[in-house]
Formats: sequence, structure tokens, C-alpha cells
Amino acid sequence: MQEQPENWEPRIIAFLCSWCSYAGADLAGVSRRRYSPNVRIVKVPCSGRVNPFYIVKSLQQGCDGVLVSGCHPGECHYSNGNYYARRRFAILKRLLEYIGLEEGRVHFSWVSASEGDKFAKVVNEVTETVRKLGPATRLVKHSPVDGVVN
Amino acid sequence: MDLQTKLRQEARKLLEEKLVDVVIGYEDEGAPLRTTPCFITDPQDVDRLVWNPFCDHNLARYLTARKDKAAVVAKGCDTRAIVVLINENQIERKNVNILGMPCGGIVDRKKIYNHLKNGDVREAVLKDKVITVKGLEFTADLMVDDFLADCCLSCRHRNPVLCDVQIGENLPPLDVKDEYKKIKQLEESTSEERWEYFRKTLSKCIRCYACREACPLCYCQQCFTDQNFPAWVGKTTDISDTIVFHIMRAFHTTGRCVDCGACERSCPNNVDIRMLTKKIAKDVKELFGDEAGLQLEEKAPLSFYNEDDPQDFIK
Amino acid sequence: MKTIKKDKINTVLDFLIKKYQVFGPVQKDDLVVDFGRIQNGAQACLEFSNTNEPAKKLFFPQAETLFSYTGSDAAQVSELKPEKPRIIFGMRPCDAKSLSLLDAVFDGPDYKDPYYIVKRKNTTIFTLACRRPRSNCFCDSLGIGPFSKKDTDVFMADLGDRYVFEPITPGGADILNKIPGLENARPTDAERLKNLRSEAESKVARKVDLDNLPEKLARIFDHPFWDGIHQKCLGCGICTYLCPTCHCFDIVDEQKDDKGRRIRIWDSCSYPTFTLEASGHNPRATGKERMRQRLMHKFRYFVENYGEIACVGCGRCINHCPVGSDLIREIENINNLK
Repeated sequence: MQEQPENWEPRIIAFLCSWCSYAGADLAGVSRRRYSPNVRIVKVPCSGRVNPFYIVKSLQQGCDGVLVSGCHPGECHYSNGNYYARRRFAILKRLLEYIGLEEGRVHFSWVSASEGDKFAKVVNEVTETVRKLGPATRLVKHSPVDGVVN
Repeated sequence: MDLQTKLRQEARKLLEEKLVDVVIGYEDEGAPLRTTPCFITDPQDVDRLVWNPFCDHNLARYLTARKDKAAVVAKGCDTRAIVVLINENQIERKNVNILGMPCGGIVDRKKIYNHLKNGDVREAVLKDKVITVKGLEFTADLMVDDFLADCCLSCRHRNPVLCDVQIGENLPPLDVKDEYKKIKQLEESTSEERWEYFRKTLSKCIRCYACREACPLCYCQQCFTDQNFPAWVGKTTDISDTIVFHIMRAFHTTGRCVDCGACERSCPNNVDIRMLTKKIAKDVKELFGDEAGLQLEEKAPLSFYNEDDPQDFIK
Repeated sequence: MKTIKKDKINTVLDFLIKKYQVFGPVQKDDLVVDFGRIQNGAQACLEFSNTNEPAKKLFFPQAETLFSYTGSDAAQVSELKPEKPRIIFGMRPCDAKSLSLLDAVFDGPDYKDPYYIVKRKNTTIFTLACRRPRSNCFCDSLGIGPFSKKDTDVFMADLGDRYVFEPITPGGADILNKIPGLENARPTDAERLKNLRSEAESKVARKVDLDNLPEKLARIFDHPFWDGIHQKCLGCGICTYLCPTCHCFDIVDEQKDDKGRRIRIWDSCSYPTFTLEASGHNPRATGKERMRQRLMHKFRYFVENYGEIACVGCGRCINHCPVGSDLIREIENINNLK
């Protein structure tokens, strides 16, 4: 458990596919479902569109956690975007955790347009997992390189 | 007839009959413990070609963006790289004549320098499987098999997987106990230990991009590092940017890397690059059952999917 | 000349560390010794041939912030004065010479680079004579030798049982005089130094004739020779990065929210994008033009511009080239061209 500054709240970025997961998030809102406010949503057409760099750069820029969510396999609006995403993220998640990123910073889910409850549940789960890990430090890009050899 | 002579004979024939414009192989320019790539166009020059455990470069690197017909001397791993390049439409099968060389492993000269405590080798003579190295104040007999590159110690493809002419008989398979042993050791350590390991090895990187240039599969006209809009990764030796460069370069070799070791060998600062690429190859094998460069027309793992791909990591 | 017993050299370093930022050769891994900041004398590794990375990185770093800014405040130019004056301890004569070549570029009559100059002005150099030239060293072909006393402030040499120090500049003498515990050199030391010098010079195995190279290069710009030599080159940039005199750089900006900085980073003429223009045209589109440019720059254009060859014969390019390109062979081939 890392030292946590007072009043620190996890900042989590979520890449949601517009057809399923984003609609699911919308449903959660319309249903007045309460969930942690720590997630900032970026809407993408499909989970297959998510470039691994989006996840890595988010971590570099200081996001404490990343969530990527798409349609359930078989339900992708573009037929198979999420199948490619599934393979890509399996590799990426393993790679990130292998190089020492704490397990629990990067998350993936399938949330359909009708799963408002599930979306809220996922967000709460991700937020609490990231909260326990504390602020992100490992991949975060810090102060400028000054060039003086140390 | 020894393999070197057979190779020269075959090269001479190809050039004399104008079946190829150039033979890309290895020659010995006199530097100890090294060969160097050569491009032979005149049949009279084929005696420059050599074949020995110092033939470490992956010559498939020189096949992309060629406009001529080339013959290339290729070890097992090199032929796999050629297969990947053909599958990715970077070279046409009919424009490359593969001179396949069954390979028992190449020497990692950094291991020799290590053994000699960085002694300055001025001369090296190879006879059978013994290398006699000489410096100004030392001489030593070293066994080739004691200094093979790490990637060769766990090689499961000593024989060419694709070739036009195979020079020499197939070698029996190596008894490989566990090719992922080092990777597994890291996987079993704690997250902190892994982070410390990678932070330490990657902090040696000076961002020279030799690893990228030596890799036959890094052929992008514009590498992601050179893109400004958007700037995917910073170009300084800031540790965060350096780590991102390496993990993403490794990620881009997913399902394509043939573990020839050219990246690690080219690094002037001895960064443990293969600890990343080999990990990904291991995951590709475990998750999707794929291995790069074994068959023409094979599907690239990330351009393909099965409906029942593993998804236990997805909520 | 002053001396100190070899096993007491740490005390010299510890003394200097109190007053200066000291940089010296440090063991980075089994094979690599590189310049690093020395916080205590025991960290220095003085039994080495040469560092992997050249001394230029201490004056012209791989990445250097030129200025930074926040919001719309006036940009903050980087602090140009190092906190404390610096000493570089244990540089080889070849690297020392390279600094005088870089001076021509970064501290010349037409252009003065403040970032480079402030480091140069605040640094004192202690060179360590080279007793173990390696197989690809050819410094004496460039008029430098393993025991050269040029381009340094204090010249040091390993006599076997002791190190000897000889002040070369007033600044060097000044610092040397303050170091406690140094003994006077013995009468026999000068002779010993001379013998060690001959011994080291005999170990410099490779020689190259550079006498008419600039003129020759001017005549062969369009020679078909250039079609062949670049073929195995990967364009990896190692030779330029590890070369003590190569100094090309790129300038990039980095920004996050309202904060940003402009950085100078090493670049290489070997990279395809080096001369890529915004139109998409690239005057050096293939490896042939780039390799030709590299040799022309170092052995002809630099001579035309600054009067000297931009090479110090350290051999790093030959040692570390992944494909075994050999600069000396290439020059010999050029010399032999009709």
C-alpha cells in the first residue's frame, strides 16, 4: 500500500466504445445509479480502435488507472473489432504487468448498452482497486531531463 | 565438402547463371571474432563468402525495399524472419533465393569479452570448435559451445524453415529444457522486483535506435518514435519515455519476432532487450498457440482472432 | 610534477568531491565503463581502456532543456550555471582533443552556444594517459597519442605504483596545488614516463594515412565507390552517438497541460529523417548519400570549415558497429581509389 497524500482521489481514464459501453454508462446515469466520480470517459467508436498507446500514454501522463470497455464478443457493432481488441489487450496487459506496472492499474470489461448496473459496478470496482494502489508513479513522466550527468 | 565451400559453389552458380543479381552473405574482413555482411555481384568474388559461428547478423534485414533479385545466406531464425516478411508483403517470394544454412548456434562475442574480463582480443583463429584468442598479454583457447548467444541456447529452429537451396544436412534438434526460464523467473518475482530490473536495464539506453535498425521486422518508413503529430513518445533518455519506447517496440513485434537476437547484440550498452520480446513471444504461444515465421500464408496473431480467445482478464 | 601512491588515489578524489562536482569513469556493468557522477572516491574505476560513451556527453548531453515555460509566463531559460564547478577525472587524451574540436563548433567566432560554453568554462579536466590502447585505436594517426598532454588542464599517468600529475594550464595548477598529500615526483619519474609512453604508443596497432584525404574526397564525390560501402550499414546511429566529435542535434518540444520545455537532443546524419524536408523531399534519400555525407563531413567539410579532421582515432565506431563497418578500412579504400 503506497503512501497516499491527503485528499487524493484516483484519476482514471476510461475508453468506452460508443455503441455498447458508452451507452451503458449513459443508462447508468439515466437510471440515477450512483457510482464513483473518478472516471473520465473518452468515447471511441469501438474497443478495437483503442491504440495501445492510448493506455500507455495515459499512464505516462499521470492517470492512476485505465479502463477500456467494449461490446461483448459477438455483439460488436463492427462485427469483430472487439475480437481484435481482446487479443491486443491480453498481450498488452501481461506486458505492462511484467515490466512492473502494478497489477490493478489497467482494466478491461465488456459492458453492453443495457448494462447500466454493470457499468457502475465496474467503475466502483476499478476505482477501489486503484485507490488501494495509491497514486501512479512508475510509468509517470516526471520533471524535465536536465542533461547533467548524475 | 564443407559447408563454406558448398555455399560458395552455389553462390557462384547463381551469379554465373544470372539467377540472382546479388548474393548477400557474410565475409571476414579480419576483425577478430566477427564477420561482416557482404553483397557479392561478381561470380569471381564468391570466395569472400564465409560460414562460421561468427555469422551472427540477420541478413533478412537487407531484403526489404530491394528492387533486385537477391540470394541470401540465412540461418534458421533468419529464414523465419524472411517468412514473416513475405507474409507481410514486404518481399516477394520470387525475388529472394534463400540459401538455407542449418545452424548450430552463433557466438556472442560479448560473452567472450566478459570471460576475458574485457581483455583486448587482437587475433582470433577458429579451428573446428576451438577459438584461439590472442591479446597483447594473453592467449586462450575457448570452446565455441561455451559462448553461444542466449537465443541459440534455446533454439528450436536450427534448420531453415523455408529455403530454395539447403546447404548441408539438417541438424538434430537441440534438447531445450525451458526456453523461457529467465522470463519465468522474472514473472515469479514481485512487481517491485520486476520494475527495478527493467528500470535498471532500460536506464542504460541512449536512444540510438540500433535495436530498431538491426531488426529485420522494424521496416516502417516512419517509426512511431519519429512521429510528431501525435508525439507518441518523447525522444530524450527520460526513463519513462525510454521504457515506453522499448515496450512499444517490443509490442509491435508481437507475433512477428523470431528471436534472432539481432536487437540485443547490436546494443552498445547491453540493454536486456530480449527479456521483453521473448516475453511477448511466450504469451503469444500460450494465449494463441502461434509462433512467428513458420509457414507461408500463416495468419498474424494480432490480425486474426478466434471466437474463444482467452478473456479471463476481462470483467 | 607530483605523485601519489595508487592506493591513495581515492583520497584525492574525496578531496576534490568536497569542492567540485566530480565526474569520472564508473563501472556500469561487466563490460561497460562510462562517465558518471562520483560521490566518493571508491566509485571511480581507473583501470579501464576507454568509456563507451565519449566525454562529449558531459558538455553536450543527449538531452538538454533549453528553456521551459508555464502558462503564458515568460519562458524560463535553463539555469546556465552549474551549482558547483566541475572536474572530469580520468578522461583519455582522445576525448580531451574532441572537446577542442567541439569548441570550434559551439564556441566559434560566429556562434557561441551558451549551454555548452558555461559547462566548458566551469570544468577542469584531468586526463589519464592511456596505457592500454585497444585494437582499434588509431589516435596517433590524428596527431594525438596515448600520452598526449594537449587539451587538458592536468595530465595524469599511471606509473605502476603511483599516479603522476603534471599541471598543464594555470587553472589545473591551481587545483593541483590545493590537493593535500601529494608528493614530489622522483628524478627517475620523467624517464619512466617516457618509457611508458613508448610502450603505449607501440600498442596503438592501427595506422591510417590521412594526409591527402580531404583533397581526395573533394575529387570523388560522384565516384561509384559510394554505391558499395553503405550497403551493410544499418543506419543505426551508434557510430555518431559514440563518436566524441559528432555533434548533430535535433530540437523538440514537450508539453503537458500548460507546462512545457524545449529540448536539444542528439540526432544522427545516419537516420533517414535527418534531412527529410516538410515537402517530403529528402536530399539524402538513401544510405549511400548518408554514409558519404558522414565521411565527407568528418574528413573534408570540417577541415574546410575549421581546419582540422573531426576524428580523434578512438575507435569506438569500429568497436561498436553492429555490422562491423570499419572506418579505417573505408579510408584505406578511399586512399587506394584511382
